[in-house]
Amino acid sequence: MAPTLPSGDQASDQDNWDNGRLARKRQLLTEIVLRNRLTALVVDGDTTCRVLEQLLLRSYGVQTQGVDNGRDAVALIASGVKFNLIIIDMILPVLNGLEIRDMGVHCKMLGVTACSGESERQAFLAAGVDVFIEKPLDPEHLVPILRELDGQ
Amino acid sequence: MELVQIQRRLVDYTKSLFMEGFLDAQFLQLQQLQDDSNPDFVFEVVSLFFEDSEKLLNELTIALDQPNVDFKKLDSHVHQLKGSSSSIGAQRVKNACIAFRNYCDVQNIEGCLTCLQQVKQECYLVKNKFETLFRLEQQIMASGGSVPTIELGF
Repeated sequence: MAPTLPSGDQASDQDNWDNGRLARKRQLLTEIVLRNRLTALVVDGDTTCRVLEQLLLRSYGVQTQGVDNGRDAVALIASGVKFNLIIIDMILPVLNGLEIRDMGVHCKMLGVTACSGESERQAFLAAGVDVFIEKPLDPEHLVPILRELDGQ
Repeated sequence: MELVQIQRRLVDYTKSLFMEGFLDAQFLQLQQLQDDSNPDFVFEVVSLFFEDSEKLLNELTIALDQPNVDFKKLDSHVHQLKGSSSSIGAQRVKNACIAFRNYCDVQNIEGCLTCLQQVKQECYLVKNKFETLFRLEQQIMASGGSVPTIELGF
């Protein structure tokens, strides 16, 4: 049997996929270029969520640390590490935003939660976060905050 | 099967998962985060989810089996599962969790038991879907091709 040669269609399909992928990546991710070095702390007891939140922040060039419980967050802050932004899951058993505020932390705090009710919203805002959003953390909500922190 | 055919099959399969509601736009977000510095990110985070969700489902089963059901504990587990499933774009699991939480709110044990079955079923289904997806991706990469990504406007 004669070997089949790659057709012209095959080559262009491959190119299209590669080019399409790069173009979409540029379109979706590069929505902001940070001028300053920003640091963030993710406090989330759920591994899947924490891993994602950290990578999303890092993809924007934010230097990010993550802890899975409030006690470690408190310890980190008490050791003197400063953060521009704290992303905190609103169902930690150990801590809520107020405790962090009580430590003299004034930076931006963004609460993330799987809840969506109005009563929860009020409770969270009363707990010391500046803004809260429903999970998952996404660029649409994160980018404006980064922009603000970066002074853009 | 030729490389292009497998790539087409992957695209069609992925689109079908969106059409059938198994995945939502958050999954596209996950794919966007995968790059040369994190080449297996999607696989890793999806695997993480299934590890965690199995534990959560066990906790839920145990919690509902108690003589006095602790609805607060139940709710907190479902809440966590809702959060993590929404983070990987597993829409049907997320929706099943929403229904589950409603029954927790009114402390309806029968409703909770039904929902638990539903959530388990949805996790099982989407896990199989992901396995097929990753298998197709592996076939493509083994043939030296690149994994096509889905256009948003379909």
